[in-house]
Amino acid sequence: MRAFEYFTATDSKHAVALLAEHAPARVLAGGTDLLADLKSSPSHAPKTVVDISRAADMRGIEVNARGLCIGALVTHSEIMASTVIRDLFPALADAAHTIGAVQTRNLGTLGGNLVTAVPSVDSGPTLVALDAQVTIAGPAGHRTMPLSEFFVAPRRTALKPDELLVEIVIPAENLGKPAHFLKMGLRKGQALALVNAASSLRIDAKKNTCKDVRIALGAVAPTVVRAKTAEKFLEGRAATAENFAEAGRLAVADAKPISDMRASADYRKDLVAVLAKRTLEAACAQSKAAKQKGARK
Amino acid sequence: MTDVTLKINGETRSAAVPPETTLLKMLRESFSLTGAKLGCDVGDCGACTVIVDGLPVNSCLMLAGQADGREVLTIEGLATPDHLHPIQKTFEDCASLQCGFCGPGVIMSSKALLDANPNPSVAEIRDALAGNLCRCTGYTKMIEAVQQAAQVMRSAKSKRAA
Repeated sequence: MRAFEYFTATDSKHAVALLAEHAPARVLAGGTDLLADLKSSPSHAPKTVVDISRAADMRGIEVNARGLCIGALVTHSEIMASTVIRDLFPALADAAHTIGAVQTRNLGTLGGNLVTAVPSVDSGPTLVALDAQVTIAGPAGHRTMPLSEFFVAPRRTALKPDELLVEIVIPAENLGKPAHFLKMGLRKGQALALVNAASSLRIDAKKNTCKDVRIALGAVAPTVVRAKTAEKFLEGRAATAENFAEAGRLAVADAKPISDMRASADYRKDLVAVLAKRTLEAACAQSKAAKQKGARK
Repeated sequence: MTDVTLKINGETRSAAVPPETTLLKMLRESFSLTGAKLGCDVGDCGACTVIVDGLPVNSCLMLAGQADGREVLTIEGLATPDHLHPIQKTFEDCASLQCGFCGPGVIMSSKALLDANPNPSVAEIRDALAGNLCRCTGYTKMIEAVQQAAQVMRSAKSKRAA
């Protein structure tokens, strides 16, 4: 690594001030993406690194009136271990488990995973399928936007150089909404996704129909994309295996995968159909299991 | 320069290092603790694994400054001059290492696993070691060694309790 100046932020406000003062600087959180990048691409050498890993106000997982709020510095291991998250959204814990390996999950943060914004970002699909919002801190204060708009292009987000992603919020109306995440990689450990997918939906118990359907796909477009054709098809339709399979087939049209060293575009399209179908089925099963549990009480 | 004071293997140590120094480089070059290895240097191979505040991490992906004030355990902190740590002993008994380069990382990952989960399943052991690459052994004997170490450590603990 080339030499750089190093500043440690005590909280998010301090971090934003440091970013403004030393622009252009790179932000260091868990380091699993940044340090690997600085080592492999010496041309990326920044003049300044602002270390936010000690910013205490960017940690913590809590449910409040806004919904489920996850600090940007929460690590993937913390997401996996959080009983709040496992109760409300097991899909988020499942997605965290597919990232890297234990050592990188102990360092890597949710915010960092989203800010790096690779097309295969494993934290992305579940959060997009749950209509997550991001809170961004800047010199003028905070602003929020949907996560789906935060992703702009491969490795590019809506963040300005003096801004910081501080929090991810799943809105209150979606607390406990059934959701499921699946990822297909070339092996079980430390694999990049060939395709990852998440679906969320609600089932009308009386009519057995789907509503509020969201299907989000990763690694098949420049950013995480919603399979809106498939969502629209399923909205109000019966929750049947045939309809989930058809939604999977329709999701392929919403994906624009490329061929690369890991997989061909055609194989990725097949995976989209299968993963979309399976995540829909699993979210549906979760919804029915939750209702049975509720009925027993 | 960045001033770093931290606890390594129970002992408080200090160093002043350039800001771009990783925890791994500081351990090896400032403190001559060469057990943790520089392998891929980007967090894929796990040869640099050490335990920071109870959690296994890639020391190649942490700046020395980020370890300031924290507690680090390296492979050098496991054995005493007279006794190997039970995990080191079972790795020896099961012939779990060949060239040994990955060993310190694998053993630190195993230590962190057994501290958190004294009776892991094979699937849990595999998950805990997924971030440690070994080109010699095929992992099977490592998994056996972790299972045996778990047994040894559990019975030692129940003996202490009794």
